[in-house]
Amino acid sequence: MGRKDDILLDMRGISKSYPGVQALADADFSVRRGEIHGVVGKNGAGKSTLMGVLMGIRQADSGSIAIDGTALRHASPQTMLDAGISYVPQHINLLNTLTVAENILVGNLPKNRFGLVDWKAVNDDSQERLKRLGLKLDVRLPVEGLSVAERTMLAIAKALFNNARLIILDEPTAALARGDIDLLFSFVRAQQEQGVAFIYISHHLEEVFEICDRVTVMRDGHIVGTREISEIDVPELIHMMVGGGVQEYERETTAGAETVLEAKNLSRRGAYEQINFKLRRGEVVGLSGLQGSGVDELAQALFGLERLGVGEVLLDGGTFDPDSPRDAFDGGLAYLPQDRHRFGLIQLRPVRENVTYSVLDRLVSRLGVLMRKPEQQITEAYIEKLGIVTPGAEQRTMLLSGGNQQKVVFAKLAATQPKVLILHEPTQGVDVQAKVDIFNIIDDLAAQGVALLVISSEVRELIGLCDRILVMYEGRVTDEFTRAADNMKPEDILLAIEGGSRSAAANGSAALTENNKPSPGIRKGVS
Amino acid sequence: MQTLDRHHLLEFLSRHFIWVVLIATVLVFGLTIDGYLRISNITNILITGSVLGVMVIGQALCLMARKLDLSAEGTVSLVAVTAAWLMLPYRETDLAQAGGLGIELDPLIVIPLILLLGTVIGFVNGFMIMKLNMNFFIVTLAMQLVLRGLALAISSGAIMPGTPAAFNWLGGGRVAGIPVSVIATIGLYAVFGFVMSRMQFGRKVYAVGANEDAARASGFNPARTVILVYMVSGFLAALAGWMLLGRLEASVPNLGVGITLNVVAAAVIGGVSLKGGEGSIIGAFAGVLFLAMVNNALNLMNVDPLWVNAVRGLIILVALVIDAQKSRYRGRAGPAEPKVKTGAEPNQKAALS
Repeated sequence: MGRKDDILLDMRGISKSYPGVQALADADFSVRRGEIHGVVGKNGAGKSTLMGVLMGIRQADSGSIAIDGTALRHASPQTMLDAGISYVPQHINLLNTLTVAENILVGNLPKNRFGLVDWKAVNDDSQERLKRLGLKLDVRLPVEGLSVAERTMLAIAKALFNNARLIILDEPTAALARGDIDLLFSFVRAQQEQGVAFIYISHHLEEVFEICDRVTVMRDGHIVGTREISEIDVPELIHMMVGGGVQEYERETTAGAETVLEAKNLSRRGAYEQINFKLRRGEVVGLSGLQGSGVDELAQALFGLERLGVGEVLLDGGTFDPDSPRDAFDGGLAYLPQDRHRFGLIQLRPVRENVTYSVLDRLVSRLGVLMRKPEQQITEAYIEKLGIVTPGAEQRTMLLSGGNQQKVVFAKLAATQPKVLILHEPTQGVDVQAKVDIFNIIDDLAAQGVALLVISSEVRELIGLCDRILVMYEGRVTDEFTRAADNMKPEDILLAIEGGSRSAAANGSAALTENNKPSPGIRKGVS
Repeated sequence: MQTLDRHHLLEFLSRHFIWVVLIATVLVFGLTIDGYLRISNITNILITGSVLGVMVIGQALCLMARKLDLSAEGTVSLVAVTAAWLMLPYRETDLAQAGGLGIELDPLIVIPLILLLGTVIGFVNGFMIMKLNMNFFIVTLAMQLVLRGLALAISSGAIMPGTPAAFNWLGGGRVAGIPVSVIATIGLYAVFGFVMSRMQFGRKVYAVGANEDAARASGFNPARTVILVYMVSGFLAALAGWMLLGRLEASVPNLGVGITLNVVAAAVIGGVSLKGGEGSIIGAFAGVLFLAMVNNALNLMNVDPLWVNAVRGLIILVALVIDAQKSRYRGRAGPAEPKVKTGAEPNQKAALS
């Protein structure tokens, strides 16, 4: 355990902005020698920017970094490595087809007197090194034969062989079963006792309580606070994560009575189980869950990108089982993908083409010739209606700002005149003004009777936007919050997303009990 | 608000660069090489450019769909050999020449047959690439080997001379003094120029080539589009084979060997990107003209044939360098962070992940 005044890393006043967003604002962050320091916060809270600055891969606009009391003048990846800071990513980068021993000694393999690799020395030397760290691995095994936990430990070991003093673990347990987590944690603790410090980034709060000495909470690019783990509990931590202010946006409900979309006992092995929900005309329903909770899979299956599995989906009373996005469009369902660059837009092509891709069938004459006029009209109409800022319809989409790109995707979907619209993180990577615009677009569509399912990890945005919020955990819909029942509390929702229950939070006690610990099979982390 | 800033200027240049080069080439060769601009020489350029030109259309479509068809030159040789084999009378094969199968089919039957053959080859390529998830490079490379091997086997590696006049019309005939092959090629460019810019198929090819995942999520069926592209490429390769055989009036072993690189080069010189999703048929046409003019000039200037390949290779490399720089420049200036004029609150959430 680190002594309170024994500071290893001291970051002061770190700021970093990108056009339109302040990714880090005046952040102070310090790590003691030999401590395990948790960093929590929602996606986009600034964790990755802070770590990027610490690793030297992003340059801060202002602020200072000191290690062991010595200020670093220039932060490059190399100076940070030299200073003993190492990063172990969620997806471990090792040379998978080579053996453990080769991975440890790569670039520095011992040679015999003929100049050939001395394999006996390679194996003995690496075995000896691992033994000193208390890590039991067969060094002759190829890395691809190791479990994820073993790979993570090997990556930590490699960092230590390179004289790392502070190791950043980014979601290290995301793909681990409970037994493997125990194994990893005891290894990490053993290194901690040798004086190595760790920064532990995780969305799983129970693990933060289990292994960390202190925890720092980030929100909206700010450090909300740093606490001793013994002096804080789960509800308070969640409260720090979501903030106390009121949300800026709240819409009036436009929900009608008739059901538009209904899922009945929908299950797909390894993705989701027993999903039941209804969407009414003009209703806006939120859906939230960690990665691996089945949210992504459910949305993509409804859009025909994956199989739906067993069970039934009714759209407007008729069976809905799309084989492709085309089928989904034709059936009256459209989907705004989370990854706009990969799935949403064809960046090389102009705005006009992107807007009309989904409705080309309606814009061709009998001979298959595209009719320019209606195409032009549709495009101009949406540019105007959605307030897309572009020099013209012929501008390549990639030259637009994030928010305007997102509006182009909206235009493409709205052009199909869907009855159901699924939005996956619609405000991700857009600036404030565009965010408000997007809320207004959602409001307009709902007012026109479109049923919207909004998938988002921005709980506060969901509360302002939605009539109901569904929470998925481990493939099941585990909780429902409604505006009508007035129980849409950010703390409760976030706790439900993390797998806790509402009653436990209300008691204010240890919320995450043993029996709702995640089961190893389906569990993954938020990336 | 459309100002001619640096980006627009570069965009304009990269789009129309080939035309500037083309005009400069005409001027330089016209002024320095005696008789270069004579009608007979221009006709010559166009005739030699037409087989290349037909193949470039097919290849350009493949490139726009972010694929490549290395088998096209194999199709040319197989189709030529097959046509000769079906049409020519039987004779004993000697060292130099071979005869046909002896069934002496009418050219009017043979022509649709070989066009169908090319289309089927294209379908097989496309099916393996899109439905069996195989790598397009290896699939079409292997296919080229298969096709060329078949051509050699059928012809016993010998020349088959004496194709009928009706068959030769496309490659060697003239209408009002203008070679039929040139008219046909220009016609094909007009048709495909229209298809790619004004028809649904063209829109889909560009979309799939630029971003297959997004094309699917936009309601397209990338597999169907790409298979169709390969079928068109196969059809046009067969047409080029017909044209070439008609011009030579004899099927020659190793017909069209090595033409693929020229075909790809012409398309790339004409602004069709190897990275897919952009370029135009009219640009590819300019690329064909440029390469045909350079080849002709190298001939007229009596450049040592041993050096010709080096010069051609150099031109191709330069075109590829320009193509690579174009997308690199875009990569930097393209999806750049927007300059937002909305007075974003300093404590707003960062858009990272």
